[in-house]
Amino acid sequence: MVKEGVIALRGVSKIYGVGEIEIKALDDIDLSICAGEYVSIMGPSGSGKTTLLDVITTMMKPTKGDVFIEGVNTTKMSNAELAAFRGKKIGFIFQTFNLLPKLTALENVMTPLWINNVPREEREGIAKKLLKEVGLENRMNNRPNQLSGGQKQRVAIARALAMDPKIIVADEPTGNLDSKSGKHVMDILHNLHKIHKVTVIIVTHDESIGKLANRRVLIRDGKIVNSKSDNKLVCQI
Amino acid sequence: MKFDGDVVEVSFRNLKKEGLRTFLTLIGVVIGIASIVSLLSIGNGLTLAVEEQFESLGTNTIFVIPGGGMSIASIKLNQIDLDTIDNTSGVERSIPIYSKSGILEYNQEKVNVSINAVDPKKAEDIFQSTGFMEVTEGRMMEKNDSQGILIGTTLSTDFFKRDLSLKKQVLINGLSFNVVGILKPQGTSFGGAPNMGGSIYMSLEALKRLYSESNLSPSIIFVKTYTADDAKYSADSIKDYFNDKYGEDSVRVSSSEDLLNQIKTILDLLTLFITGVGAISLLVGGIGIMNSMVTSVMERTREIGLMKALGASDDKIKSIFLLESALIGGIGGIIGIIIGYLMSFTIAFIGQSLGYALEASMGIEITIGALIFSMIIGSLSGVVPAINAANLDPVVALRYE
Repeated sequence: MVKEGVIALRGVSKIYGVGEIEIKALDDIDLSICAGEYVSIMGPSGSGKTTLLDVITTMMKPTKGDVFIEGVNTTKMSNAELAAFRGKKIGFIFQTFNLLPKLTALENVMTPLWINNVPREEREGIAKKLLKEVGLENRMNNRPNQLSGGQKQRVAIARALAMDPKIIVADEPTGNLDSKSGKHVMDILHNLHKIHKVTVIIVTHDESIGKLANRRVLIRDGKIVNSKSDNKLVCQI
Repeated sequence: MKFDGDVVEVSFRNLKKEGLRTFLTLIGVVIGIASIVSLLSIGNGLTLAVEEQFESLGTNTIFVIPGGGMSIASIKLNQIDLDTIDNTSGVERSIPIYSKSGILEYNQEKVNVSINAVDPKKAEDIFQSTGFMEVTEGRMMEKNDSQGILIGTTLSTDFFKRDLSLKKQVLINGLSFNVVGILKPQGTSFGGAPNMGGSIYMSLEALKRLYSESNLSPSIIFVKTYTADDAKYSADSIKDYFNDKYGEDSVRVSSSEDLLNQIKTILDLLTLFITGVGAISLLVGGIGIMNSMVTSVMERTREIGLMKALGASDDKIKSIFLLESALIGGIGGIIGIIIGYLMSFTIAFIGQSLGYALEASMGIEITIGALIFSMIIGSLSGVVPAINAANLDPVVALRYE
């Protein structure tokens, strides 16, 4: 059986600036990512990989083209619809962790749960279970400044999983970590992909991280430069 | 925007996190609300006290004041004028009050006093029935009593080294008098406050010993009519008589209702004015909230970006910030109301102990009005920062340094 990818970009361009000085960050991109895939997006800085990620995560609307997630064209959605959609479908992991400094690890993991109106009584249970899964059951009541970089990123992973999303997007997840913590974080992501069958998309310029993925998408000057065959438009189930 | 318990919780938590800033912002609102509440409360209390005094005098009273208060030339009313008032239809009787000044000497100490005199024959029962003047010690003035004087407690205890007590002899303008009664402390009234420092009271007979009859003319005349309706018509007749005789507005004639309304208008204006000054300080408090919220939005830009990434809608972000500023307004309002009332009761207490008729009045309208006003100021101050927060581009906000 052949099916459209869980994420499908069709003729997507993103142009910054108006008038004569226009910068084409993304240039007519077609890309499909299948359910359960583990994809890395790689390229030099300024190549457009962050913009590509922003478009995939619906944080940014493309200037041209359509972005389908699970078959839904997100470019046609209002901001409010997009926010709700994003909250349920996509889990974010950032290079700089973006934990709320005054909240405990547990409260940080619970943040997406209240934002997306998960019933009060369920929140703590979900958050505790996830922190346990990333090995932080003893750090639940610590604030971010009481955690190491690797622990912070594990809290962020737990937070990304809170809404049980189908897609996890990680932007340079090991960029601020030493190699040992980085490896630990990558192991967790790898397991997520393997055990939970979550689609994982990692943006990185680190070759050693990038090659852990099943598929690499190389981007340069706003264009995907892989061979066409690598960049399949349909997914097999 | 529907009620969202989480938004309330998060807003509260955010305010708590910024403890010092929240506290300082609150102070601005508290000062504004406290000054409005205390000023309104004192203003209302003053109006109530005045109304109460007028009521105790009765609505069937007309006040005749020569010179009308504002005019330059003082007009001396004579016996013919007094008889005319007495003979006006509807008038039951008139009570002229004479005010002079003199030097009171006691125990070789001298003080200036204002002397108020009235004919006890005409006034005795009025004092009793209205409670306008009451003695705590001794007796009221009596008919043909040319020796006795009444004094207030302040004059009795505060003016001389040795207390000027009952039955003591004093000299007024060199003539000898006896203290026959000490007056109860009471609020400000017409013809001087009974308990104001340098006032003494005596019968007309006694005053005639100090001043020759030709030098005496009443400074105010209380005219009692049979009914409250009579007061209006009789006041008009008396006014016409004086206008014809001495010229327009040479003598002010007001029914107690007129006078009450005039005083109330002045008090209302005064209250409005001082409350307006208080409102300006609340406005400054509102700007304080706005300033604090703008700073907060800037500081929390990344947090806002994160919340948007995690699925928060623009409305949710907006409601968090709006609620934070409304909470500052509301909490500041509650604290301000409490402090305002405490202040007004303290002011009233100090005023009363100094002999002024200051009262603080606690009203449900003031309380609820102040609370709503503070919440409106709080919410309005938060509108612009909240919209700014909601309109942040999530991508830009998330990477904001």
